[in-house]
Amino acid sequence: MADAAATAGAGGSGTRSGSKQSTNPADNYHLARRRTLQVVVSSLLTEAGFESAEKASVETLTEMLQSYISEIGRSAKSYCEHTARTQPTLSDIVVTLVEMGFNVDTLPAYAKRSQRMVITAPPVTNQPVTPKALTAGQNRPHPPHIPSHFPEFPDPHTYIKTPTYREPVSDYQVLREKAASQRRDVERALTRFMAKTGETQSLFKDDVSTFPLIAARPFTIPYLTALLPSELEMQQMEETDSSEQDEQTDTENLALHISMMESRSVTQAGVQWQDLGSLQPPPPGFKRFSSLSLLSSWNYRRILEPRRRTPLSCSRTPPCRVAGMGRRTSSITLICGR
Amino acid sequence: MPLTGVEPARMNRKKGDKGFESPRPYKLTHQVVCINNINFQRKSVVGFVELTIFPTVANLNRIKLNSKQCRIYRVRINDLEAAFIYNDPTLEVCHSESKQRNLNYFSNAYAAAVSAVDPDAGNGELCIKVPSELWKHVDELKVLKIHINFSLDQPKGGLHFVVPSVEGSMAERGAHVFSCGYQNSTRFWFPCVDSYSELCTWKLEFTVDAAMVAVSNGDLVETVYTHDMRKKTFHYMLTIPTAASNISLAIGPFEILVDPYMHEVTHFCLPQLLPLLKHTTSYLHEVFEFYEEILTCRYPYSCFKTVFIDEAYVEVAAYASMSIFSTNLLHSAMIIDETPLTRRCLAQSLAQQFFGCFISRMSWSDEWVLKGISGYIYGLWMKKTFGVNEYRHWIKEELDKIVAYELKTGGVLLHPIFGGGKEKDNPASHLHFSIKHPHTLSWEYYTMFQCKAHLVMRLIENRISMEFMLQVFNKLLSLASTASSQKFQSHMWSQMLVSTSGFLKSISNVSGKDIQPLIKQWVDQSGVVKFYGSFAFNRKRNVLELEIKQDYTSPGTQKYVGPLKVTVQELDGSFNHTLQIEENSLKHDIPCHSKSRRNKKKKIPLMNGEEVDMDLSAMDADSPLLWIRIDPDMSVLRKVEFEQADFMWQYQLRYERDVVAQQESILALEKFPTPASRLALTDILEQEQCFYRVRMSACFCLAKIANSMVSTWTGPPAMKSLFTRMFCCKSCPNIVKTNNFMSFQSYFLQKTMPVAMALLRDVHNLCPKEVLTFILDLIKYNDNRKNKFSDNYYRAEMIDALANSVTPAVSVNNEVRTLDNLNPDVRLILEEITRFLNMEKLLPSYRHTITVSCLRAIRVLQKNGHVPSDPALFKSYAEYGHFVDIRIAALEAVVDYTKVDRSYEELQWLLNMIQNDPVPYVRHKILNMLTKNPPFTKNMESPLCNEALVDQLWKLMNSGTSHDWRLRCGAVDLYFTLFGLSRPSCLPLPELGLVLNLKEKKAVLNPTIIPESVAGNQEAANNPSSHPQLVGFQNLFSSSQDEEEIDMDTVHDSQAFISHHLNMLERPSTPGLSKYRPASSRSALIPQHSAGCDSTPTTKPQWSLELARKGTGKEQAPLEMSMHPAASAPLSVFTKESTASKHSDHHHHHHHEHKKKKKKHKHKHKHKHKHDSKEKDKEPFTFSSPASGRSIRSPSLSD
Repeated sequence: MADAAATAGAGGSGTRSGSKQSTNPADNYHLARRRTLQVVVSSLLTEAGFESAEKASVETLTEMLQSYISEIGRSAKSYCEHTARTQPTLSDIVVTLVEMGFNVDTLPAYAKRSQRMVITAPPVTNQPVTPKALTAGQNRPHPPHIPSHFPEFPDPHTYIKTPTYREPVSDYQVLREKAASQRRDVERALTRFMAKTGETQSLFKDDVSTFPLIAARPFTIPYLTALLPSELEMQQMEETDSSEQDEQTDTENLALHISMMESRSVTQAGVQWQDLGSLQPPPPGFKRFSSLSLLSSWNYRRILEPRRRTPLSCSRTPPCRVAGMGRRTSSITLICGR
Repeated sequence: MPLTGVEPARMNRKKGDKGFESPRPYKLTHQVVCINNINFQRKSVVGFVELTIFPTVANLNRIKLNSKQCRIYRVRINDLEAAFIYNDPTLEVCHSESKQRNLNYFSNAYAAAVSAVDPDAGNGELCIKVPSELWKHVDELKVLKIHINFSLDQPKGGLHFVVPSVEGSMAERGAHVFSCGYQNSTRFWFPCVDSYSELCTWKLEFTVDAAMVAVSNGDLVETVYTHDMRKKTFHYMLTIPTAASNISLAIGPFEILVDPYMHEVTHFCLPQLLPLLKHTTSYLHEVFEFYEEILTCRYPYSCFKTVFIDEAYVEVAAYASMSIFSTNLLHSAMIIDETPLTRRCLAQSLAQQFFGCFISRMSWSDEWVLKGISGYIYGLWMKKTFGVNEYRHWIKEELDKIVAYELKTGGVLLHPIFGGGKEKDNPASHLHFSIKHPHTLSWEYYTMFQCKAHLVMRLIENRISMEFMLQVFNKLLSLASTASSQKFQSHMWSQMLVSTSGFLKSISNVSGKDIQPLIKQWVDQSGVVKFYGSFAFNRKRNVLELEIKQDYTSPGTQKYVGPLKVTVQELDGSFNHTLQIEENSLKHDIPCHSKSRRNKKKKIPLMNGEEVDMDLSAMDADSPLLWIRIDPDMSVLRKVEFEQADFMWQYQLRYERDVVAQQESILALEKFPTPASRLALTDILEQEQCFYRVRMSACFCLAKIANSMVSTWTGPPAMKSLFTRMFCCKSCPNIVKTNNFMSFQSYFLQKTMPVAMALLRDVHNLCPKEVLTFILDLIKYNDNRKNKFSDNYYRAEMIDALANSVTPAVSVNNEVRTLDNLNPDVRLILEEITRFLNMEKLLPSYRHTITVSCLRAIRVLQKNGHVPSDPALFKSYAEYGHFVDIRIAALEAVVDYTKVDRSYEELQWLLNMIQNDPVPYVRHKILNMLTKNPPFTKNMESPLCNEALVDQLWKLMNSGTSHDWRLRCGAVDLYFTLFGLSRPSCLPLPELGLVLNLKEKKAVLNPTIIPESVAGNQEAANNPSSHPQLVGFQNLFSSSQDEEEIDMDTVHDSQAFISHHLNMLERPSTPGLSKYRPASSRSALIPQHSAGCDSTPTTKPQWSLELARKGTGKEQAPLEMSMHPAASAPLSVFTKESTASKHSDHHHHHHHEHKKKKKKHKHKHKHKHKHDSKEKDKEPFTFSSPASGRSIRSPSLSD
């Protein structure tokens, strides 16, 4: 019965496999293993005295056996890895079995039982070959300080940069030109924006937009802004920065400066305004430069706390001036680098 | 008893005497000033003073003190209530509401009013009656303690409150108050003897909020908290005798810095400015060391304080052991331009500590000695600090200034002598103000006076050597410091006063030299010398024939007789010759040393021993003369116009090492636009060793030459390639290097060159496009990131350069200026200005220099017709609350607008600001600017010139500015500029002028000439024959005293009288404000002239009627008029004597009784007049309503 079933199964699967033979070698391989398992299940059933079995129950049992065996394998692998080995040993299997509640001592006796059926080894099928990934270029060998068992370098294209942006300008004249015109653009845009958002005065009665002047507003304590101008404060700050990087030549400095400005100079002052707080990631290869981080942190600080210095006017000047001016000034520094 | 009558004689006697005699019948020894409450909110002060005096005459029963503005509650002498009268004739100078709008009249009245309360003549506004209980005490010459309670409410002068209108406590707001004023102005904030010659020791107490600091003179003895711990009292002691005028005060939430080098020096500044203060004052100790070293005398006071305050009256004010500075002098280490200016101010104030505060002056006519000495030692400091070049440049600058001023206005007299009976012998008749008193002086005159004083002091040094000079100073100081440590009784304190005669005596004692001619020429006489020189070389005799002419006929000049140094640079070297300038000799022969002409190639020795190679090809082959200089050491106050050939000027510029010579040659070369001049100037520009100021002026000269040579000029615009070479990048010549101002010399040159370049014009008289682009590029590529210094002044100058490049717009049939027809160049300029001005709002620059330049540039654009002329922008910048520099720049533009557009509205706006602006300096400055740039002048027809304006200005100077001497004098200056000395021509003819003419049978057809005739008569009165009138003049004031005395004799013990006075004084004490107040309230305060205030109709006709009726000689009439300028008001009432006397009959017998004791008066007329004025004075006291007097009088006026 079992044989019939087995043969039927084998035959069925054989035909199936035959029909699928050509389809996939990997499937083939798996089918062969499974068929062997079915044979095992059938023989066990026969041993147990069954004469025949429904195909479905054979299948179920096969499934159970398969998962049982895979569970053993999996656990054994875990144990072996746990003890920092790569190959499972017998003891791993034993521990696994014990763990799963199986009495290992009964195994030798069971192996030596009389009515044991010998199952022929499954037909040898080739391990399917994984197709080779496309390689581009030569993988770099390990440098001497890396042990050879470490994974190999990935393909070069995955990590080696390809410079695709244009060369930074280094001509002094062009740089100066750029620095000047950018600053001017920014200043102009900024002042226009300020003029647009606030009160203005005009030199021409018929036209208020071409040369808008921000309206003059009296201060409560005029000498403070005059004697402690924010302009100087900024310059001093800048000075401390530049002293940190004295080794840099003027040109380099300028180039960096410009690239920094380029990344954030936007024609629309309004847009620019919102962007000022969040720093964009620097372009690849950009060495982050001390003043930038310094400025930005300073920028935040300045925005958070009111700008005016001391008790004198700190909380007393109208809020629009205090906070507003602080924000404006600091951001200008960031842009103009003044 | 009538002290005033004796006074002039006594003052005159003093002149020859060595010692000093006080004009007062008592001597002040100690004064306590206690201010127990200062209210910043209400701007009021409450306190008391206590003066300890020793009578020097037995029958002292009246004590005159100075007090203005103060409301006096109570006066006690040795704890006894004392009666007092307050009378200030300077509150309203001319009392009659006559239509006499004549400046001559006003000036005389004002001078009279000022001397009526002049402490130097023993007068004062406050007259205190010694209670009769003390008379016996007084006769024994025992000490009197005068205790005066006073308060001050919203003072308009003397004390200035700065209270920013933000929230928070006064200390958090930075509110502060300080004393200020011009000359002796202490009477504005507490009653005192406000004279520089009345010294005493001081105890000063100020109770202020615990958060505030009170800074005052002398040592801080202790600070005591009140029991509630909310206030503290600062106790200061000044043991060195000091004049009240040198007492000062500053209270505010100051930050305090003890000088790290000198612990006895303390600096104070307003909150947040401490870092600036540290930097600014870090230099002061060196100045101290310098002065102490040259004077070989320690700083006389035990401590020194500097206070920096906002809204300063003047930049530097020196008081005993304390100086008050403008806070705007503070600067950080990044500022270049302000640094030398501030240091100069510090040094100036310190020099005045020695001479001016410690050593005080005897009288106003000795002021020049103090100003001269302090200016002179300040000059020595300048020489040491900034170098000889800077010093000589400064001397030349000052000399040019004084020469220009004297030639313009006609002379500055250092030592005015008002001879005995010749009081009217006005030594400065060319001026529209009296120079008899510091408070009547025009401010400009006073600054020039100071300038001349130190120049003359330098001349004295030239004569007697610096060593002797310093010995003299040392002698003065050591005498003074010995005296200062003495007790009062020894009468040594007068040694601390300096007088002209005493000073001259020291000089002759120390040096043994006679400097009398020098003093006579420059001190006792006004005017400068004007030389015209030319020369010819006589080849045969090898002689230089020099012709020196003088102009001593035009105003402000004088004749010079004496030695004159001439330096001649020849091929063989430089030779000094001293010529004797005599009456008639014009020609002087000077033998030349160099016989050889330039056959041998050798170096030419210069004055300083240096030998140089010169290219002599430009020279005249026949003459060995390279250049000639007249008075190279500036040892005469002169203007020299010397003629020599252009190549000689060029040699002088290139090779003469004296900066003054270089400057002179640059000025002269302007007249020689040749390629050679151009080359000489360019070489100077390039020469690093050359003094930077010379190079800077060479820039401007080069621009002028280039403009004159425009048709033949070759190459790029002047200075462009030079600038490119010096300041632009090597690789890209159109881009300026990033700023590096480490070398100040080249910084100043870099700043100046573009400004000068912008003055270049092409054949069409336009600024060349190339230059404009160049300047725009400079602005564009300006990069200050790597600079140690701020570039705000540099950027400001670039804007000035842009403004300089603007030329008048080409206007097609007067079209309206709009954007569309804007010149493209101007559009670029405007773009820059707009950007700069807007950036200033976001990132302001130091002292807002950029805004200032932008405003000026906008006005230039308006004036040249590129932008519609409109003052609205400037008016908004001129508002209170902007930084003072901005305000001044904006106001200047408005003043200019007023002139160009003849706008009545703007003029009114300015006048309004003069009256109401919170900052005294701004008010003063507006007047000053209006005077300098007047909307119209006296000979000009202008729609602005109308009666209302005359009245307004008249009111302003008559009563509106009584709280500030400087402001009043400024108003007088403006009035003079606008209308001249005589009655403004825009006024309608006086109504009754015709009557006058008929009565007097005079052929005066044009009534507007009447004031002139009065002026003329006054001149006539100047001759000594008018002596009798002079007596009368003096009596005018003695008379007022007399009758005050009577008042008190009759009622002094009555309690009612005292309470009446108290009531009277409780009224607002600043009637200057009361322009619109009913006359009655004012008249109560000014009893002497009250009646005059009421009579609105013209005085003059009335007066003439009276004269006619009386039948007095008509020749007396004009004299009378000129004698009694202030008395014309009393005269007006004269006619009504009969009516008025009815009301005051009961007083009359008092008068008469008393009068019998008095000396007889020569003129019955005068007697009557006096009598009458007495009556008037009485009226406010006897009748509660002075108006009643008017109602009785007025009908008869029209008779």
